[in-house]
Amino acid sequence: MLFLQNTPDTSGYMIAGYAISFIVMALYVASMAMRSRNLNQDLSTLEEMDQAAGQQKIKAEKDAPKTVTKTNGKK
Amino acid sequence: MQDKPIILKVLDIVSILLLGVSTYLALVFAPTELVMGAVQRVFYFHIGTAWTALLGFLLAAVFSVIFLISKDLKWDRYQVAAIEVSLVFFLITIVLGSIWARPAWNTWWTWDPRLTTAAVTELIYIAYFMLRQGIDDPDRRARFGAVYALVGGLSAPITFFAIRLFRTIHPVVIGGGNADAQGAFAMTGDMKVAFFFALFTFTVIFVDLFWNRIRLGDLQEKVEQLKLKVTL
Amino acid sequence: MTENIKRATKEIVRSGRKGNFFKAVSAVVWKDLQAEFRSRELFSAMLVFSLLIILIFNFALELDIKTRQSVTAGVLWATFAFAGTLGLNRSMAIEKDRGCLDGLLLAPVDRSAIYFGKVISNLAFMLIVEIIVLPIYSVLYNINLFQPGLLLVILLGSIGYVGVGTLLAAMSVQTRTRDILLPILLFPVVIPVLLAAVKASNGFLTGAEFSEILLPINLLITYDIIFIALAFMVFDSVVEE
Repeated sequence: MLFLQNTPDTSGYMIAGYAISFIVMALYVASMAMRSRNLNQDLSTLEEMDQAAGQQKIKAEKDAPKTVTKTNGKK
Repeated sequence: MQDKPIILKVLDIVSILLLGVSTYLALVFAPTELVMGAVQRVFYFHIGTAWTALLGFLLAAVFSVIFLISKDLKWDRYQVAAIEVSLVFFLITIVLGSIWARPAWNTWWTWDPRLTTAAVTELIYIAYFMLRQGIDDPDRRARFGAVYALVGGLSAPITFFAIRLFRTIHPVVIGGGNADAQGAFAMTGDMKVAFFFALFTFTVIFVDLFWNRIRLGDLQEKVEQLKLKVTL
Repeated sequence: MTENIKRATKEIVRSGRKGNFFKAVSAVVWKDLQAEFRSRELFSAMLVFSLLIILIFNFALELDIKTRQSVTAGVLWATFAFAGTLGLNRSMAIEKDRGCLDGLLLAPVDRSAIYFGKVISNLAFMLIVEIIVLPIYSVLYNINLFQPGLLLVILLGSIGYVGVGTLLAAMSVQTRTRDILLPILLFPVVIPVLLAAVKASNGFLTGAEFSEILLPINLLITYDIIFIALAFMVFDSVVEE
């Protein structure tokens, strides 16, 4: 076993390693947060559209039955 | 969207705290290794991310089987979450492995079995996402993803053993040191503490990210379904 | 030509109805071989491509007499791997484009019969190309490649390659990215085959101890069995509509 008198100073590499680890993890969390935010926006937009479409349907149903009763009445 | 369950919020905070403690243990508490110096400390995160990522890939293969049998798409969402998180962790593993190699053997890369298999495995799971991207039908996408995750999950360990058995490693080393030694060092008691704590920390972080990612997938599914409903 | 394919597909349906697995498999194989015999498009493309790759390697690597020995196995397998994707891609694309795949799927044939049929025909094409490449390489580089051991390795390696490749090609041909995707999916997963095949080929070419060569050959056989079994089990999920 070699007897080393000097331990090399590799702290630069160590810092790089830890920095990269934290940065990569942070980027991934940020990516998830952004995707989540976008999806939530999409969701609220879609829910609005869905509600609007639902209300249109109710309106259409209100108009329709009048014609049916008319023909029934004629009979 | 449903609010985050309290357990998950707590888990988020716990993960960050554990990461902090683990970093302290790795950077301050553990002694400096004699031969390599400070860079050896990346070892704790290197192994932490490696083990969890490998378990993640294994879990993904299990999800494949469950999905192919049950046809329930939720297992596909679990699989995507597992592979995505594992992919990120394994990237850290590979980069740290390379950073360790540089001062230890004066090379940015060694073609030793572990690092090589890691690169191959990472490519397999990148290919997994490229496969999924090319498919629009969610059911087909899930089926194909499951098949490929199985094929990849089986092939990666075989690759590892194959390289270990067959590759006569010519040390691509310009400086001193033997590539086969793989920077072996004996762990003292304090190092073991940092080591096991890092393993524990990354497991917790994995679970946290995994759970969050599943919720993201569920949200995505909800949006897709609503899109279909609204455009019909 | 489509008449022959229609006839062949009817034959497959008929044999499927009779419940004869092997008949269905051989019907698939026969259909492919017949079609290829007429057009020779797969075969000629793979062959020419292989020769071009060998040519490129000649310029890419310094193949002087010394290095030739050590590098031959690798060059051969790299050539086979690249030319192989060509064949696999085309073979599956033909199925899809001519609507044969849909026709086959309508047949009451066990899906795995289609898988085995495709594997055998793809394997046949690959082996034929390899058999032609070997003497040409031998002549170009003055190395005797006709050793039974080497031929065995080429057979085992090709089986593994085509076994996994057919499954993955069946998937990639159904995606938007089609051709480009197959090598991306296939190469990382087929590395054990390449590794073992090169090691074993090298062993035979350099006259190494048989005990050394036995290990990679065992790996090839193991890989072949594992992945063909896996493909057999999951192929249904890959071609269902």
